Amino acid sequence: MIDKTKTLIGLETHVQLNTKSKLFCGCPTKSVHTPNSQVCEICLGHPGSKPMFNKQVLTFALRLCKALGCVFAPRIAFSRKTYFYPDMGKNFQITQYEIPLGKNGSIKLKSGKIVQIDRIHIEEDPAALVYDGDINETKSVLVDYNRSGIPLVEIVTSPCMNTPKEAREYFKELLRIIKYVQIFDEKTGVIKSDLNVNIPNHPRVEIKNVSSFKDAERAINYELVRQKVAIKKGNVVMHTRGWTGTKTVMLRTKESEMDYGYIIEPDLPIFSISSEMIESINVPELAHVRADKYIKNLSLDPIDAEVMASDLKLAELFETVSKTISPSYVAKWMRKEFLRVLNYNKKSIDETAFGSPEIIELLEMLQSGTISETTGQRLIELMVTTKISPKEYVQTHKLAQVSNTAELQKICTKVVEENAKAVEDYKSGNEKSFHFLVGHVMRITKGKADPSVVNLIMKKLV
Amino acid sequence: MVLSKLQKINKEYHFFNSIAKSIPKNKFIISAKDAICTKDLPTTAGSQILSNYVPRFDATVISNLKKEGGVVAGKTSQDAFGFGSFNVNVGNDKKIPLNPIDATRVCGGSSGGAAGFTRKLSELHPEIKHVALGESTGGSISCPAAFCGVVGLTPTYGRVSRYGLISYGNSLDKIGPMAMSVKECAKALDIIAGSDGKDSTCIDHEKGFESACGKDIKKLKIGIIKEGFGDGVDKEVVKSVQKAIKQLGVNADEVSLPLTMKYGIPVYYLLAMTEASTNLTKLSGLRYGQEENPSDISFNDYFTSIRTKYFNEETKRRILLGTFARMAGFRDAYYIKAAKIRTLIIEEYKELFKTFDVLITPTMPIIAPTFDEIKKLTPLQHYMMDILTVGPNLAGIPHITVPCGEVQGMPVGMQIMADHWQEKKMIQVADYYERKRDDR
Repeated sequence: MIDKTKTLIGLETHVQLNTKSKLFCGCPTKSVHTPNSQVCEICLGHPGSKPMFNKQVLTFALRLCKALGCVFAPRIAFSRKTYFYPDMGKNFQITQYEIPLGKNGSIKLKSGKIVQIDRIHIEEDPAALVYDGDINETKSVLVDYNRSGIPLVEIVTSPCMNTPKEAREYFKELLRIIKYVQIFDEKTGVIKSDLNVNIPNHPRVEIKNVSSFKDAERAINYELVRQKVAIKKGNVVMHTRGWTGTKTVMLRTKESEMDYGYIIEPDLPIFSISSEMIESINVPELAHVRADKYIKNLSLDPIDAEVMASDLKLAELFETVSKTISPSYVAKWMRKEFLRVLNYNKKSIDETAFGSPEIIELLEMLQSGTISETTGQRLIELMVTTKISPKEYVQTHKLAQVSNTAELQKICTKVVEENAKAVEDYKSGNEKSFHFLVGHVMRITKGKADPSVVNLIMKKLV
Repeated sequence: MVLSKLQKINKEYHFFNSIAKSIPKNKFIISAKDAICTKDLPTTAGSQILSNYVPRFDATVISNLKKEGGVVAGKTSQDAFGFGSFNVNVGNDKKIPLNPIDATRVCGGSSGGAAGFTRKLSELHPEIKHVALGESTGGSISCPAAFCGVVGLTPTYGRVSRYGLISYGNSLDKIGPMAMSVKECAKALDIIAGSDGKDSTCIDHEKGFESACGKDIKKLKIGIIKEGFGDGVDKEVVKSVQKAIKQLGVNADEVSLPLTMKYGIPVYYLLAMTEASTNLTKLSGLRYGQEENPSDISFNDYFTSIRTKYFNEETKRRILLGTFARMAGFRDAYYIKAAKIRTLIIEEYKELFKTFDVLITPTMPIIAPTFDEIKKLTPLQHYMMDILTVGPNLAGIPHITVPCGEVQGMPVGMQIMADHWQEKKMIQVADYYERKRDDR
């Protein structure tokens, strides 16, 4: 599977899980502004304190493992990774070393390429170090333990990607999956990758802490160019680098790598992972599977399918509404209008005041011509922030579309009479003037007029 | 005043690292080994590096005893972090406790202060109600109890919550009571045992230990471990324990624990030191341990300077050995192998408990040595003192030591062991013996 004549790229990604409390204590994981306010004797590592395993973390991690088709360890133990560094009260991190929770999973990229997942394991986040400006020139280092003990999963791929673009695609797909299985909150959680870049027959170089898929691509691109130049000069050694956002910089060479002296964490028991436990974990159908289904079974346009499947809540909403209304019609409206309004309001689909019944009501009125598209757009803007029944709203505010030809004929005639100049301009070849006249009718009817009917009448009149 | 009595005893014998500022009346007093966290009282684990540590919480054992009307009177002396069998490896700033029977001799360790104080207090002020808490990793309750002539009970691993115990070897550490009688120990164990939701290695199991006292032992099968009476064990000590077994008046079969006796010491020291070396990393002068001005040096150099200055020699030895045993390249040969042999040792005990209810050996191979005698011991000879106690500690099985006669005026201890969670059986035998002994 691994082609050794090509550049090999492997990723180790740390994902902060959005459980309510930390991995080994009851402190909340919710991010707050006040440093060291969400800490206790356990996540600070006070002498005498002992860790207690938060089982919700296991459920979350199992969900990911299951979604990626991993093989599960029947029993898991935790290990101590010992090192002296100011970011940890205990000076050791509780992680999984000997037996990871999941092994041998995979992620399928859009290109069809399968990325092998070697292992997935649980560990605790260390504290955050806060520097006074640049890390190399800082006069002081502050430690914020709010982050200490936040649960992480680490996802390790085999070095099977060959281009920066593939790494980017992988990172992006992984992000989509962890959101889909609802173990990661994009607004507050952090996802970071260490990138291993290996040009054939040359030493491997690791780039630490890259935190977006765009940066992953950029960092690898930078690194490939840098390594090729270095190879020409003949001085590539195995080492670890950091990513500044614009370039990679030397952190340490292999010789100064630490020996973590792993031991089994003796304060925690060994946990059995039973088949019933795995069975009970519910994993939603993933985005790529849904998108394929939408194209095949619902004859959706591939781009619409991709967008509808991109978010779990959106996909579920789409599927529900599509049972009543034509899927491509639903997709068109949801993609163009609902997502536009959501983006504008900086809201996610689960933060809105509407559900599938409201959307169905709205789309039914649109499909039957009861309301105009313009009215539909207005209603969506309202629905995102306010709980309304679109049907009742249209009734009480008298927003039903006016397609009564006689009534519209009257309004159009009036507009033509009052705007002689525009009519003249149109006749002398100015198309814009026609739109001006139609727009005028729409304004008078407050958007309720059926634009196609207005067009027809106007053409006849002028 | 209880307080002044304690202070007076301490002035002479150095059983305490710290004593409470006041002791309310009508309470029974608790003395806790200094590795057990007590709110508002320094908890140093006997070390200098932690001499400023005042926990913001009580260990579960302490809160359990407080609920029953106890009050913490003081923190008892120990070898720093439990690293020793004589309680002479105390922190650089601490005093060495003296044996309550002969002040030229050691108390034994590592819970030496607890044993010495228990004995002395009962001698001078038997009216003061007292519960002593010790802690055993490889024999640190049994050894000082035997040397000072008191009863020391080490429960099954996981019987008593370790929450609030400054860890030595977490997979081996057990908190247990020490007292002048088996019944008092049983009573204290009833109070401190049980899970608290804060130590995931501690679970609930049937209690009612006090009810195991006052019974006969006709139906129990007793095994005598022959290695405990052979080479390396003082002849006079052997005689005392053999006599005690006779006093039990029941048949006892001779059995053997070849694997445990051969590998117990190296396996115990490898595992305990390996775990200890990770536990002590947090004592680096950043969040925990003594702090100094880190001006103009890297944090690595700063950590090193603090640890060099404030750890004593035995602590440094165990950190070095423990770190070595878990390093890449050596880990499989030492740490992993020791863990595997430990499993075999557990199986060796389990096999015997299929036939026997309790097993008996002397507790220590010698009586409490004098300070002069131990000066000549090499570290390895020092470690060999634990030959009879590391076995049950590695296996995590409960054991109790009960005084059974004297040699040169110094007490001898008989060690009675039972299967996991079978504390009642050993309490039954120990209590029975105690009554037979005192009938004379």
